[in-house]
Amino acid sequence: MNQNILTTQVETSPDTGIRTEEMLLNVGPQHPSTHGVFRLVVKIDGETIREAIPVMGYLHRGTEKLAENLNYTQIIPYTDRMDYVSAMTNNYVLCHAVETMMGLEIPERAQFLRLIAMELNRVASHLVWWGTYLLDIGAMGPFLYAFRDREMILDLFNELCGARMTFNYMRVGGVKWDAPPGWIEKAKDFVQYMKKELPSYHQLVTGNEIFISRIKGIGKFDSKTALDYSLSGVMLRSTGIKWDIRKDEPYCIYDRFEFDVPTATEGDCMARYHLRMAEIEQSLRILEQALDQFPAEGEIIGKVPRVIRPPAGETYVRIESPRGEIGCYIASQGKDKPWRLKFRRPSFTNLQILPKLLEGENLANMIAILGSIDIVLGEVDC
Amino acid sequence: MLGLAKGLGYTFKKLTEKKITHFYPDVPFPMPPRFRGIQHFSPEKCIVCNQCARICPTECIQLTGKPHPDPDKKGKLIDTYDINFELCILCDLCTEVCPTEAIVMTNNFELAAYSRDELYKNLKWLDDNNTNVREEN
Amino acid sequence: MSTLLQQAPSLGNTIWFILAAVVLLAVLLGFVTYAIYFERKVIGWMQLRIGPNRVGPLGLLQTVADVTKLLLKEDTRPLHADKALFTLAPILAYAPAFAVLAVMPFTESIQFADLGIGLLYYIALSGITVLGVITAGWASNNKYSLIGGLRSAAQMISYEVPLVMSVVGIVLMTGSMNLREIVEAQRDVWNIVPQFIGFVVFIVAAQAELNRTPFDLPEAESELVAGYHVEYSGFRFAMFMLAEYVYMFGMGTLITILFLGGWLPIHPALSFIPGIIWFVLKFSLYVFFQFWLRATMPRMRVDQLMSFAWKVLLPVALFNILLTAVVISYQNGMF
Repeated sequence: MNQNILTTQVETSPDTGIRTEEMLLNVGPQHPSTHGVFRLVVKIDGETIREAIPVMGYLHRGTEKLAENLNYTQIIPYTDRMDYVSAMTNNYVLCHAVETMMGLEIPERAQFLRLIAMELNRVASHLVWWGTYLLDIGAMGPFLYAFRDREMILDLFNELCGARMTFNYMRVGGVKWDAPPGWIEKAKDFVQYMKKELPSYHQLVTGNEIFISRIKGIGKFDSKTALDYSLSGVMLRSTGIKWDIRKDEPYCIYDRFEFDVPTATEGDCMARYHLRMAEIEQSLRILEQALDQFPAEGEIIGKVPRVIRPPAGETYVRIESPRGEIGCYIASQGKDKPWRLKFRRPSFTNLQILPKLLEGENLANMIAILGSIDIVLGEVDC
Repeated sequence: MLGLAKGLGYTFKKLTEKKITHFYPDVPFPMPPRFRGIQHFSPEKCIVCNQCARICPTECIQLTGKPHPDPDKKGKLIDTYDINFELCILCDLCTEVCPTEAIVMTNNFELAAYSRDELYKNLKWLDDNNTNVREEN
Repeated sequence: MSTLLQQAPSLGNTIWFILAAVVLLAVLLGFVTYAIYFERKVIGWMQLRIGPNRVGPLGLLQTVADVTKLLLKEDTRPLHADKALFTLAPILAYAPAFAVLAVMPFTESIQFADLGIGLLYYIALSGITVLGVITAGWASNNKYSLIGGLRSAAQMISYEVPLVMSVVGIVLMTGSMNLREIVEAQRDVWNIVPQFIGFVVFIVAAQAELNRTPFDLPEAESELVAGYHVEYSGFRFAMFMLAEYVYMFGMGTLITILFLGGWLPIHPALSFIPGIIWFVLKFSLYVFFQFWLRATMPRMRVDQLMSFAWKVLLPVALFNILLTAVVISYQNGMF
């Protein structure tokens, strides 16, 4: 931690003679709105933030180091625990990296199952964000409505792979389970239900004048800053840069489906709110097409050698997680364990802009800005 | 003001809607067939191949074998088998690699205990945990 | 009751006074207990939950259990807190909340003191509570509670101005500050109709005075953890909670009296229903509205809150006074 923040300034106003002092406020690691164990040391002058320093690592479990002693199948359950709100994308990025190194062919049905799982997870993740963001802003109702709908997705996952959050669903070369009988129909029903439910979210929150005045125009940054901080996902798209890896570097079978990449130009919390809501719609659109085109039969796992040994070399793959660009770098020496494994975690990268955004802001905006970045602490600390 | 009124209308409508609360401890929570609960272990099926212990990402399985009492028969018999549920993440990999389905998942998931020691489950406990055993593994 | 006040003080009527106060306190505690219960139930229902249902039949004893727990808790005090002020603050917050109820006419007969300036008395006393809150914030020696205390001082003082201004219209119309006379003046039409602007301003300002959603900044859970009472626990915390809900009781009573016609029935034909029932009905409507708001609204931001009070509510309230004055002068044939 930067020690400079610990010195606070004492000033005496020349006009009134009133002595004022800056105050250090320790937000977290146990604080209702830091979404886990995130700590923020802020120096405030009244209610204006002069400086903010994020302190992270309270949830660091050394996933990357642990992975060096695990074989590739064993790492998959560890990735579930990084971004626990959207574990499917983490599963995928690791499998995708290994498959890329080994040049494996993935069967059609497995691709579809992966895509459906990832998109359902994206909807679930954005629902969690929506609920908790509103909770940060002070409305507690939306949280429960969002969790009711997310629960349906989790139930779907529970039927598909036997767990609600830590899926361990994907395997190198395919997926572990085929869709159980009737699952595709249930997923279709959910998509239709969610399409009907989404407008009521807007009815409840989006038009609310208090909510709009809380988040409009705060936490603003432009596209140059976004690129400088190498932001990705909604944080980047909210500044007008149309960059979605699903569209620009299609992986899995995203190139087969029609969907838009919503962008905004304002770059404020409001824009990010609208983008995430629009992304739920787009995800539902992808899901609708994917569920309709779901192949009637086929293999769910391709031809994979019994021991997974990627050839010596390095690879980096990236995909679009709900939070942004999640990447996986593997350096292999041809063994069954990676020599080095590195995850590019979007939450961690996006969080770096926080001190800049908080400077000069009102203390009450701190929570609104932090929430709009959409971090998952499991991923930040990894 | 319209937005506020709309929101109030929405919550008012919900007032009479059907509640979604589960009466969980009173009414058991049904889990789907594939649910990954606490493992069931059948010692008679085990061939002491040690694969489960090796695949376990958290190294929570400890097992020892003993030679077959009938000297004509090859192979080993399982002697002790412990799973440490302080570590186990119920990732399903042990049941996936088991060639004889000696270790399988069940639908039971209630693991809360007053002492950490109770989380060390031994062979007998895992053998007795034979309700709601998962069909496909 | 009123006749008692005019007698010479003696042991007999002193005991009566104390007894009556105890009865009121009991009623109040009953109200608080079940207000909290219904708050949790109503909000639960609105959020598709069922609310408390474990303690007692239908969860009716949930609040009793909670309060018992609070009272039995260890009394903790931060090491560097200002001992005297820390102890004083909850009392300072609670006492005026209870005292304002003395002038409230619940029906024609149930009233403790029939003060000529009942309305002024209410406003003057309720202003003291802010002292309790800011004392609590300062004495806790905690940064969060300090911010919460200062926020609430700024907020409650600012919102008192439009709150008072919004009722001036009623005082002009009635020509009295006596709460009983204000109710009696609503025989033909409730004040909510001619004083609708005043009513809206009053409801908003009352919400801010009560520190309830969407103006619950002083204890903004997601920002300040619990605001001014972050360091309080046990029975001191219970006092703050009690003060909050008693204030809700007081504000609900005041709104019923000022704008909803007190114990008067909707239509004279329905006057066979006792006044107290009408009063409780109208009062419950307001309390329900509180819970409803809490289930729906996000929180305002502190700077918006202040500018809203001074730039929107106060001008509107002043306009209402002007309008009322012009209309009354016109009716009196001054133009």
